[in-house]
Amino acid sequence: MHITIRCYATLARFTPPDAAAFASTPGETAGQLAQRLGIPPADLKLIFINGQHVEPGAQLADGDRVGLFPAVGGG
Amino acid sequence: MALVMDLDERIRALTRVDALADGTKRQVLPYYAVLDLARSLGRARPRSKGQPRSRALASVELAALELGIVPERYLRNIDAYSLAEQARLLGARAAMVGLGGLGGHVLEILARTGVGHICAADGDEFQPSNLNRQLLCTRRSINGYKAAAAAARVGILNPAVDFEPVAAFLDESLMGRFLVGADLAVDALGGLRDRPALLRQAARTGIPLVTAAVAGQAGFVATVLPGATGPADIFGTADSAAAETSLGTPAPAVVTAAALMSAEALNILCGRGPRLAGAMLVFDLEAMSFERVGL
Repeated sequence: MHITIRCYATLARFTPPDAAAFASTPGETAGQLAQRLGIPPADLKLIFINGQHVEPGAQLADGDRVGLFPAVGGG
Repeated sequence: MALVMDLDERIRALTRVDALADGTKRQVLPYYAVLDLARSLGRARPRSKGQPRSRALASVELAALELGIVPERYLRNIDAYSLAEQARLLGARAAMVGLGGLGGHVLEILARTGVGHICAADGDEFQPSNLNRQLLCTRRSINGYKAAAAAARVGILNPAVDFEPVAAFLDESLMGRFLVGADLAVDALGGLRDRPALLRQAARTGIPLVTAAVAGQAGFVATVLPGATGPADIFGTADSAAAETSLGTPAPAVVTAAALMSAEALNILCGRGPRLAGAMLVFDLEAMSFERVGL
């Protein structure tokens, strides 16, 4: 199965080259995906799948749009 | 003879009728007529502490709106905000914390749109590094209080706005007092540290909070209703962990966030209600992507 990934702000450098169709396996969680991308857990504050905030334990499904967001506070 | 006419009659006498392209007509109170009428109100009722000039201007504008007449300065608002909504904006009160990158642009939009009462707090002074994005930071205002520059700006933009600047950093208890009487709290703070306190105090006051933050080309805007989870609950308070410390705060992202915040603040203040309650609008200007995220 394949998912799309968008890494924001400081996490952009962890964006894989095939982010538009990234291979994942059924049962993989959002947290495991972030780990596979090399994102330090402390830097990942907000995960969303298909426009909904989820916990790291949320399982991925084929076609999911995954967003990964760090702490952002600038103004 | 003019002096014995009441305000409504004098407004009607000075109103012009514009023919629109679709054949309908619109009644407009010219800009200078509002100023003249407000000045004459001031003469009839000598100015006191309780009746600054902004009140005379706002009462003329409100009286016109109630007659179905658009004050000329709001003419280009009226297809976006109805006469009743424009009147409601003039009676609304926004409490803003922060007058930097986000706050300066939000203040500009709220004042131009005609939000009648705005109080804004920031204890900071402008530094040269603010020049890249902060509307109120100029060669002239550097080293001066942001709150003072804000007051000067509102004065030349729209003197009908009753603006209360507070040149102080607010701790949590002061935030609570600052929000009393407001219809809306605007979180235009920089950094993560003080945001949870403002979120708590807006909830305690029972008013919605419109919040935003940026880092590099990315950012978000959100509305938090009292008691709901907000971005400040998710991101924590460790400023050292915040992405903007390494990515900075460039103007396009800051102004985008401020414009979105303003649109949402005006949705709430004009009585339509929030459109982003319980959600964040996340954007990335490098990718030109926007995504709505439910919290």
